[in-house]
Amino acid sequence: MAADYGALLSPTSRGRRFKANLVVALAVVATTFALVPLASVFLFLVTRAAGVLGPDFLLQDPPGDLSAAGGGIRNAITGTLEMTALATFIAAPVGILIAIFDTEVGGRAATGTRFFIDVLVALPSIVVGIFVYSLIVVAQGHFSGFAGSVALAAIMLPVIVVSTEEMLRLIPRPISEGARALGLSRWRTYASVFLPTAVSGIFTGLLLAVSRAIGETAPLLFTALGNNFFSTDMNEPMQGLPLLIYRNALNSAFPAARDRAMGAALVLVLIVLAFNLLGRWLVARRKLSRSTGQ
Amino acid sequence: MNEEVAMTIETPFRQAAVLPTWPAEPAEPVRPPETDNAVVLRLRNVDAFYGAHRVVRDVSLDITGNAITAIIGPSGSGKSTLLRCMDRMHEVVPHARATGLIEYMGTDLYDARIDPAAVRRSIGMVFQQPNPFPTMSIADNVAAPARFNGLVKSKTASADLVEQCLRRAALWEEVKDKLHHSGASLSGGQQQRLCIARALALAPNVLLMDEPCSALDPVATLQIEQLMTDLRASYTIVIVTHNMQQAARVSDRTAFLTMGDDGAGYLVEEGPTGRIFTQPRERLTEDYISGRFG
Amino acid sequence: MVGRIRSKAGPDGLAAGPFARRRLLNGDIVFRLVAAAAAGLTIGLIGLMVFDSVQAAWPAFQRFGLDFVTGIRWSPSFTIYGALPFIYGTLLTSAIALLLAVPIAVLIALLVTEFLPTQVGRPVAIVVDLLAAVPSVVWGLWGLLVLVPFMRPIEQGIADGPGRLIPFLGPPTPGPSYFVAGVVVAVMIVPIVAALTREVFATTPRLQREAVLALGGTRWDVIRCVVLPIGRTGLLAAVLLGLGRAIGETIAVTMVIGNAPRIGGSIFSPGFTLASVIANEFNEATEPLHAESLVGLGVVLLVIAIIINGAGVAVRRRFERSAGRGR
Repeated sequence: MAADYGALLSPTSRGRRFKANLVVALAVVATTFALVPLASVFLFLVTRAAGVLGPDFLLQDPPGDLSAAGGGIRNAITGTLEMTALATFIAAPVGILIAIFDTEVGGRAATGTRFFIDVLVALPSIVVGIFVYSLIVVAQGHFSGFAGSVALAAIMLPVIVVSTEEMLRLIPRPISEGARALGLSRWRTYASVFLPTAVSGIFTGLLLAVSRAIGETAPLLFTALGNNFFSTDMNEPMQGLPLLIYRNALNSAFPAARDRAMGAALVLVLIVLAFNLLGRWLVARRKLSRSTGQ
Repeated sequence: MNEEVAMTIETPFRQAAVLPTWPAEPAEPVRPPETDNAVVLRLRNVDAFYGAHRVVRDVSLDITGNAITAIIGPSGSGKSTLLRCMDRMHEVVPHARATGLIEYMGTDLYDARIDPAAVRRSIGMVFQQPNPFPTMSIADNVAAPARFNGLVKSKTASADLVEQCLRRAALWEEVKDKLHHSGASLSGGQQQRLCIARALALAPNVLLMDEPCSALDPVATLQIEQLMTDLRASYTIVIVTHNMQQAARVSDRTAFLTMGDDGAGYLVEEGPTGRIFTQPRERLTEDYISGRFG
Repeated sequence: MVGRIRSKAGPDGLAAGPFARRRLLNGDIVFRLVAAAAAGLTIGLIGLMVFDSVQAAWPAFQRFGLDFVTGIRWSPSFTIYGALPFIYGTLLTSAIALLLAVPIAVLIALLVTEFLPTQVGRPVAIVVDLLAAVPSVVWGLWGLLVLVPFMRPIEQGIADGPGRLIPFLGPPTPGPSYFVAGVVVAVMIVPIVAALTREVFATTPRLQREAVLALGGTRWDVIRCVVLPIGRTGLLAAVLLGLGRAIGETIAVTMVIGNAPRIGGSIFSPGFTLASVIANEFNEATEPLHAESLVGLGVVLLVIAIIINGAGVAVRRRFERSAGRGR
């Protein structure tokens, strides 16, 4: 990859200056262009959905018939929280262990694992849904919140592995050497030195993974399926916020369904944004404290 | 068996093969008479490699007990590498290895049946850059490695150990009121003394110090040098330093290494410090001491 | 063992001596085993899931053979299942998405890394990244209720204008279409491509940049001579990874693509992608061959995704290595 200075040989400096300004203008236009949908989505949600939100909306369950007005999204909120929590319990330890495997054992096995995980990050989430369906739903014979959690865990896992690995990589060498020189065993070193040092980064990675999993619909379509009633039973089909939005949106010819979808969408976006921004803020705070030598 | 003592570890210096309990007053360790001024570490024909590149050539050296041995020489002469071979830290770097005999109290440290971590618990190391564990308090920094290795079990024994070691490292008075503060909250000189205390907590017999003062200011340097002189009575100290005056001030014996034409360091001369600095036998030694090179 | 002082340990002493290696239930060995087990089990489990899915889809593959991939009819009522309409849909929407998203993402990355001072650039980058935080289903909802009505007159205009000459750009324009789906996917992949491209541009060696400036070059010259050529490989990686994301996009697509299981004649026709047809039909597929074929579509999508994402990761690795060297 070499630079190419040939272009500098062109004669008119005025022409080049004009081109430079043109590109800046284009870049500004492009950025604005890209941000229009963002503004539009927020405006859309806030204006059209704000009327729907209210304590009832959050505390009641939806009516059995989607086209009927009234009711709320309670079962979707609890379902999403439950499934995401279980998914985190599954994905976090496994993900951290895999990251430890990559850092500690290394070698060809680790390179292969890393590649595998990297591809997993970008895998279409519907494919993940099919996988978990063919493994768990078929075996159990029914849809369940548990299967949904497994699918979400599969989505979260690669994110957790990548961010934990990054954190472990950043542990300063003096710390690592100091632990070795003290004759500490490796597992002890990880448990008492490395992981505590990396914990804030790992936590941030978890937050980002959670914010991604909360918004996913496709993995839940064939695993948790959805449920019109309130249920906390992991063995039963379970409703999730994205699922509720999706199903109501497909029936958006009915105003009640449309309103419900928009209200739920606003709630979902707010939740996801909260996690996302919290994660970012933590990353920024850590970078700042590192640079000021805390 | 005394409740305070956790594990019996058989190392030659221990009286009754039971680790000294840590009473409130510092106790003089009883040494079997034949170990006074005996050779503690015996190096014979030691070579050290990074991959195929030899960095230390054919060094034979005796390290005397209860004395400070300084290893001096210009940069690149393999001093640090040689030091790290003595507690099997050299091999931690990928593709690094050492050959030859390094005998500690008659035991070949590089025998295949030997656990490197156990070696490092008996031969402590202090690094150039102070590296207390940032996520642990001052007290934990001292006590945790000892706790992990089973040297102390109860809380009182732990606290006694902390005080014991911090006193020996001449740090107790300065930190006794803030033992729970983070290890990283101290000044450079204090951090280095904390690292010394931490190394002492494992009750090693030998303390290896790799340029321990080069990251410190002159005042802190003097404190560490004083500390070394005090510790000499109970420990065997090997210090690598590029500061000749420091070697002359502090050490009992001095070894001079320099880089040969093949890029590997070799031992030029070794002997009592007084003699090395006033009547060196080798021309190279005299040149280095008088500043003609290095 | 208590009470013995050893000052010399002979060969036997080593095995039981103070420094002896602890065999077997050594904490470290257990530790490594557990970590390796986590990695191995995960990979094994996923492998098992792939295997199960291929097995489930096998009857469909057997029945149709290669025609499964090349067949243009997808008709549950006639139990004929061919995947080509969906492959076509996936490719078309992804192409539209890339064509729209990549130039915009590159320009955004240039703006943030080259034209704006860091203070301003960072918040802009964060806001662009927020595009990625919006869940797919919300983009779909927005697409359905806001974008489709908005685009209808535009689509109509193009269809009536150049569309008369180029059937590909012509009617019908019912609203949901490949084109709208492409636009929505473009919006969703802009932040990913932009973030990666930003990283690529940020690693341009300072030395080279300053060389151009010292020769009197403008900022555009710096970009043209240094940033873009050196970042070529990284840019390719970013595009590949954006493409990988685009082909997998399911929910937003299925809400705005019109759900027609055939190859539409123009970009304004309704259609389907591999991902969206699975989402749409799976839960209603009562007939076993239908369900098996849908899983088969999933396998096809998986293969495409592995190829594209694998290539993207490989190219990204290559870029990272040479960027590391170039410093």
